[in-house]
Amino acid sequence: MSLLFKGRSQGAERTGIALSQRIVMFFVSHVRQALSSLGELWRNPAASMMTIAVLGLSITLPSTLYILLKNTERVSAGWDQASEITLFLHRDTQAGDIHQLQTRLGLWPEVESVVHIDKAKAMEEFQQLSGFGEALSYLDNNPLPDVLLVTPTSKHTSPTAAGLLLDKLRKEREVEVGQLDIQWLERLHGLVGIAKELVSVVALLLFLAVVLIIGNTIRLNILNKRDEILVMKLVGATDAFIQRPFLYTGFWYGLLGGLLAWVTVALLLWWMGDSISKVTQLYQTQFKVDGLHGQALLLMLGLSILLGLAGSLLSVHKHIRAIEPK
Amino acid sequence: MIRFEQVSKTYPGGQQALRQVNFHIAPGEMAFLTGHSGAGKSTLLKLISIMERPTVGRVLINGHDLNTIRRQQIPFIRRDIGMIFQSHQLLMDKTVFDNVALPLIIEGYTHKEVGKRVSAVLERVGLSDKSRCLPIALSGGEQQRVGIARAVVNKPPLLLADEPTGNLDPKLSMEIIRLFEDFNQAGVAVLIATHDLGLIARMRYRTLTLKKGQMITDGLTEDWPGEDDEPAI
Repeated sequence: MSLLFKGRSQGAERTGIALSQRIVMFFVSHVRQALSSLGELWRNPAASMMTIAVLGLSITLPSTLYILLKNTERVSAGWDQASEITLFLHRDTQAGDIHQLQTRLGLWPEVESVVHIDKAKAMEEFQQLSGFGEALSYLDNNPLPDVLLVTPTSKHTSPTAAGLLLDKLRKEREVEVGQLDIQWLERLHGLVGIAKELVSVVALLLFLAVVLIIGNTIRLNILNKRDEILVMKLVGATDAFIQRPFLYTGFWYGLLGGLLAWVTVALLLWWMGDSISKVTQLYQTQFKVDGLHGQALLLMLGLSILLGLAGSLLSVHKHIRAIEPK
Repeated sequence: MIRFEQVSKTYPGGQQALRQVNFHIAPGEMAFLTGHSGAGKSTLLKLISIMERPTVGRVLINGHDLNTIRRQQIPFIRRDIGMIFQSHQLLMDKTVFDNVALPLIIEGYTHKEVGKRVSAVLERVGLSDKSRCLPIALSGGEQQRVGIARAVVNKPPLLLADEPTGNLDPKLSMEIIRLFEDFNQAGVAVLIATHDLGLIARMRYRTLTLKKGQMITDGLTEDWPGEDDEPAI
């Protein structure tokens, strides 16, 4: 409706077009502006690619770190559940007693399984793996004790329950030392925690940089189109109408940057795949690195689009308002 | 249609562009606004299209005080005012058709309606065969007619022209003015700012004359430049 002239309606109202069709027109015009923004990017491939690359690579770093962290957590979560108790037996314990002890402990309700590591076998393995092979052969007798590895049932794997079980096991006559190694797990968790915070901080800084870079790019776009914006304002375009193509440009930067980040992350993981599998082989675990899939991918793309939009919104608000016909 | 009440405009820095200007242009009237450059013609037009705000006084269009119009409402005011500029203000990288269609697209007309109206208005200004050209390929007079087509394509009740014949020879100027007369006869109020006194002299229209920001004459061309015998307002 015209503000000045009663009875003079503006635009589509006057032509008597149904509301439904006007809503359709609204979306049609949005799609048109979105596509023309994309076309604009296409016409300046070098400049667009640079902006997209900055955005994509800036998102790649935190995404990769995030993935590595997630996988580390997944692995260590598995270790958490499989906490084992190591029992070092008195050196003079006879083989028969050890066997008896093993059977006895196996009957405890808290115990899932008991594995015996023979001291002779342990020595052999130690000679092979430690690199002291020569030196060890000079020893008169085997300094290693027999060892029983006790795996608690799943109910008794939490640190406190396993601790109680350990106390009980220590009271056995044959046991010299019992160890429940959860301290290193706690340390690992601590380190992972620090890494997590570091990733968050790095991500935050990079995201901020991305918003500023996109904002500046859009600002240059706006200044380049100054004359066009002036003309549009002269013929009655609202700020919302004028800023829409720039917001779509930000959207496309975000989407394309996000896709680039996705590809780069996949390439990085593929590149690092060999060294990762070497590490996992050391731990003798079947382990496959989880890439960016499903929700995480959507989250990353959404975040990337959000950053693009935020950057352009920042610029558009300030600069389109400032351009006024004089 | 347009009413100025004791309007003064002082630019930042102290330059006084308009002093206590009063006049009224009736709906469907056609008038010229003249004066030397720097007399305040452009300022007066800018006050109507809210490119500037008056320092003192009121500008009314159709009884609505423009001082009460908020910033966000300005685009909607401009949709009611067709504006024509000496420098044409065309988008040089868009075709004639796209230039003329711009106000309609801004207002959200359908594709079909835009095509219909733009063709009709280009026909009216005699540029039907140039609709696919870029403005740069047109002569000065043709570019001005594109500007006029764009100004009238959404049928505004009010038309403002700032030196529309500035760069044109007398014959082309006359053609442009005839075009304005056509629109005026269709009921559109027209206010044309020009310093082309020869052009005005050949027409019989009301002429407002500004000198150093003051309205010194307001009357028909035949009285011009006689004393003001008609009270302003």
